[in-house]
Amino acid sequence: MALLEVRDLGLAIAAGGRLLPVVRGISFAVEENETLGIVGESGCGKSLTALAIMGLLEDTAIRITGGSIRFEGRELLTMAPAERRALMGNRMAIVFQEPMTSLNPVYRVGDQIVEVLRQHRDLSTSEARERTLRLLEMVQVPEPEQRVHSYPHQLSGGQRQRVMIAMAIACDPRLLIADEPTTALDVTVQKEILELLQDLQKRMGSAIVLISHDLGVIAETCDRVAVMYRGTIVEEATAGELFANVAHPYTRGLLASIPPADRDVEWLEAIPGRVPAVDQEIPGCAFHPRCPFVRDLCRTARPEGRDFAPGHSIRCHFPREWRT
Amino acid sequence: MNGLISVLRSVRERRLATIGLIWLALVCIAALGAPLLAPFDPLDFDPLARLAEPGWPHLFGTDHFGRDTLSRAIYGARMAVLIGTGSVFVALVVGGIVGMLSAYFTKLGHLLMRAVDVLMAFPALLLALVLMTLLERSVVNTIIVIGTVYATTTARILFGMTLKLKGEVFVEAAICSGAGHASVLFRHILPNLVSPLLVQASFIFAFAQLQAAALDFLGLGLPPEVPSWGNMLSEERIYITRAPWLLIFPGTLIILTVFSMNLLGDAMRDSIDPRFRKDVKGV
Repeated sequence: MALLEVRDLGLAIAAGGRLLPVVRGISFAVEENETLGIVGESGCGKSLTALAIMGLLEDTAIRITGGSIRFEGRELLTMAPAERRALMGNRMAIVFQEPMTSLNPVYRVGDQIVEVLRQHRDLSTSEARERTLRLLEMVQVPEPEQRVHSYPHQLSGGQRQRVMIAMAIACDPRLLIADEPTTALDVTVQKEILELLQDLQKRMGSAIVLISHDLGVIAETCDRVAVMYRGTIVEEATAGELFANVAHPYTRGLLASIPPADRDVEWLEAIPGRVPAVDQEIPGCAFHPRCPFVRDLCRTARPEGRDFAPGHSIRCHFPREWRT
Repeated sequence: MNGLISVLRSVRERRLATIGLIWLALVCIAALGAPLLAPFDPLDFDPLARLAEPGWPHLFGTDHFGRDTLSRAIYGARMAVLIGTGSVFVALVVGGIVGMLSAYFTKLGHLLMRAVDVLMAFPALLLALVLMTLLERSVVNTIIVIGTVYATTTARILFGMTLKLKGEVFVEAAICSGAGHASVLFRHILPNLVSPLLVQASFIFAFAQLQAAALDFLGLGLPPEVPSWGNMLSEERIYITRAPWLLIFPGTLIILTVFSMNLLGDAMRDSIDPRFRKDVKGV
């Protein structure tokens, strides 16, 4: 049994009495000790999927239209709120994209970690303080004894993200969702944070879902990669297989738009067009208006998911079209 | 805590606000030490010294019963502080809870905020008058009524601010760490509202003075035997030509207190809004 299992999850925005689908029945599973990368352009539904797993869609315009999310074999979508709160921050945790705003500005960072610990663990204040120090050491915050007394605005972006990670791993979660954890940081700090996440995973044996629009980040850290486009997973494979054997034209487009590190190029290849608006109906394959290899079938029939190679599934009528 | 310190610092940078703070401190001292400071009993009649002019031994003169105006004014400070802080407390607690709950639980909010809208449709004084006629004249009732009137504006302000904070990532992060509703509201959102609450408190305090004086003047506030600045104005208004000091002293006290609190409130508000911080320094 997988640690996290998402089946046919559908999300839609309620707008003016209509439901506009944004996530159209996605399925994936994450095992213990595994890092799954979810990659896609802005607006493809990857962050909403994370919010749905964490139960943060209540009281928003987003509706869950179907499917199931099972964590450790238990269905999250029908779970009582109190039961779910006992899991959150404890068995599963999330690190957000914005380290600048995800810490409460009026509390010292140490107290914020202590608060999470005391919420889920029966610790005395001094035990919780002790553990907070060790957590800050684990995430490599320099001078943790001083830093616990700092307010968030006194820390740099990288340090804040470390504190956020310390908060997330405070109770040894089995599942850690990282929603663009490095997007707001500069490149050197980005690398350190990614290494930290990998290192922590090795130590704790938990699963990580890493959400990013940066294929470079994904390539470096993930065991398996799911590529999302317009609310569906269009390609999923192990990282090695995906990068060696790209099959979907969208993934190929994403890869081609990364500037090569070993040579200068005048122009970067870009995917033509733009992500279609949510309320736009697209018959057939959702990617066909932007696909350079589009054929008649793509305009009318929606491709079903199928295996392209063992452990490599794809939603495309004509995979690897550019080779033929 | 940080907010409080920076507010006090910015008050010190402004001369007028400092003067206001000193005046309010004097009022508080008078309120606390009234029995020691007042030269006479504020309720003692002296039929031989009715409507005496300011002089010795009655520095502020006496009223038509021969009661010492200075002593009554000092005891009046007691009522001013009591009504002010009491109203602030009621307004902030009631308004704060209504505003925060309304923003946090949207469905409940539709209901509560519409009720607030209805109350806000009445002019403040009219609402206070209506409520006071329904209740007995007493110190506690006056506090409740004035507090309720200003709870509406407080609820409005906190509703908006809570709504904004609710969308902040750190609140989502708190929810994700398993915090329950009470914890999110009171441990994560409320501490971020301390500065605006402080400013709101200062203005409510000032308005409560005027409101209480108006109610007293109209004979609907504190019981007539209680020495308050408003009651002094109300009782002695017919002697305005014969003994103007009976109105000048309490009137001046009300004006100074309200003015001081407004100055202080202005300084606090500006210290929270960084756009004002520079250009008003030293004023």
